[in-house]
Amino acid sequence: MRGGDVLVVDPDDDDRRETTELLDDAGLDVQSASTIEEGLAHLDEVAVLVTAYGFPDGTGLELVRAARERTPDVACIVFAAETLAEMDTDHAEGEVVDYLSKETSGVEELLVDLVTHSVEERTQTAYPHPEDERERLAAVERYESVAETAGAALDRLAQLACATLDVSMASVGVVDEREQRILGCHGVAIDAVDREQSVCTYAILDDEVTVVEDLRDDPRFADNGLLDRSGLRFYASANLTTPDGFVVGTFCVYDGEPRSFSAADRDHLRSLAAEAMDQLELRRRLREGGDTDG
Amino acid sequence: MAEQPGYTFREELSLNPIRPGTAVLVAGPRHDGSRELVLTMTADGTDEGMIVVTTNAGARRVVEDCERLGAQFDPEHAGIVDCVGEEPPDPFPARVLTVSSPRDLTGIGIRYSQLHGDLHAEGIDRVRSGVVSVSTLLSLGDLQQVSRFVHTLAGRITAVDGIDIFHIDPTIHDERTVNTLAQFCDGRIDVRDRGEGTELRARGLPDQSREWRSVDLPF
Repeated sequence: MRGGDVLVVDPDDDDRRETTELLDDAGLDVQSASTIEEGLAHLDEVAVLVTAYGFPDGTGLELVRAARERTPDVACIVFAAETLAEMDTDHAEGEVVDYLSKETSGVEELLVDLVTHSVEERTQTAYPHPEDERERLAAVERYESVAETAGAALDRLAQLACATLDVSMASVGVVDEREQRILGCHGVAIDAVDREQSVCTYAILDDEVTVVEDLRDDPRFADNGLLDRSGLRFYASANLTTPDGFVVGTFCVYDGEPRSFSAADRDHLRSLAAEAMDQLELRRRLREGGDTDG
Repeated sequence: MAEQPGYTFREELSLNPIRPGTAVLVAGPRHDGSRELVLTMTADGTDEGMIVVTTNAGARRVVEDCERLGAQFDPEHAGIVDCVGEEPPDPFPARVLTVSSPRDLTGIGIRYSQLHGDLHAEGIDRVRSGVVSVSTLLSLGDLQQVSRFVHTLAGRITAVDGIDIFHIDPTIHDERTVNTLAQFCDGRIDVRDRGEGTELRARGLPDQSREWRSVDLPF
């Protein structure tokens, strides 16, 4: 879970204080740092990075690149005193940022609007969000407390999936704000994947069973270094959908060879996903000591 | 807070006003009038700002094309990010910032933001943005980088109640690529020409017809 909203990184003490106070007065949870190194140490905790351009130890665009390597989803706003001519973007390797000039009249209001919007909507991810993302994340949170207790049961379902569907790997996981977390699995040994690197990030946008017969042929995943290193070629998943209709995660199967997936296979996977969701739902109800009907 | 009025378009487009804070993907082959549609939608405002990101044609050509479509430019209200790298003549009816290549997404984004910030500083709060064309960006970069670029621009314009119009030629990309980029937008307008003039239809945009209809413009 995120620890804060915004990180302001600026070597100028006065500018850093003014920017921090401006955003704090707007009701945001703000941290600050004066150097690139200090900024990187705070990065895991925030949704938005507001960075100056010039630093004694580098540039704001170098900070952005390092930030995205650690936290791919972080929204980055360069808030600079330098002119465009004074900023080197040719060597930024395509890092996408928003930008505001400190010299622009009335920029304070615009900065608050942009940062607030970025915190609420997460507007710089490289992947699309479901339309009900806020409600969906709230639903994911409701199952956090029971996820660990369901591990053994979900492992068994994953093993059953491998045997039934003739695949070498299967996993059950939730997709939270920044990552896909594995709750149960068979044939794989991973705990979590950055959401930007996960195929499930796209699968949860689709109501139907998602099938990618060859990940290398799909433009969404062809340049995915993690998938490439893992040797995965085939992927299929069915959504874990709560009783009130929110997709909190997926039941996935994978293989190292491309393959097709029949209608019967899709039905089996759909059933396994429903069973996994029932495991989570029943445990949630028991934990909350509430209604056990149905 | 009172809701702002929608962004309106000339009658010939048969488009109802589009709500502020909307990103639209215009999908159609270039020779079917889709580029001209994006330019027309971007330039159709009165007393509104406009920013065009042009990846293939220089700023001079963009102004000529918009003026041929009946748009009036003035440097107080109009900005162009020129990725072709041509310096425009002086004087020129728009503020132009150049980038050396459409590959430089960092430079494009920063210059776009600079132009938008300048319009905001001048009190121009209603801004239309057009990107022609995302297809060029895709031909030079990977889908993930271009996705972040589209998402960021769309996010900026929705934060400030503008409208963003992105062009893509779906005939030269995998359908999954086009569908992914469409998901960063609030709706889509498809464009075609089957020999009887340019037609368009809207999908996912409230109060817009989903049926194909002709548009009557000097494309």
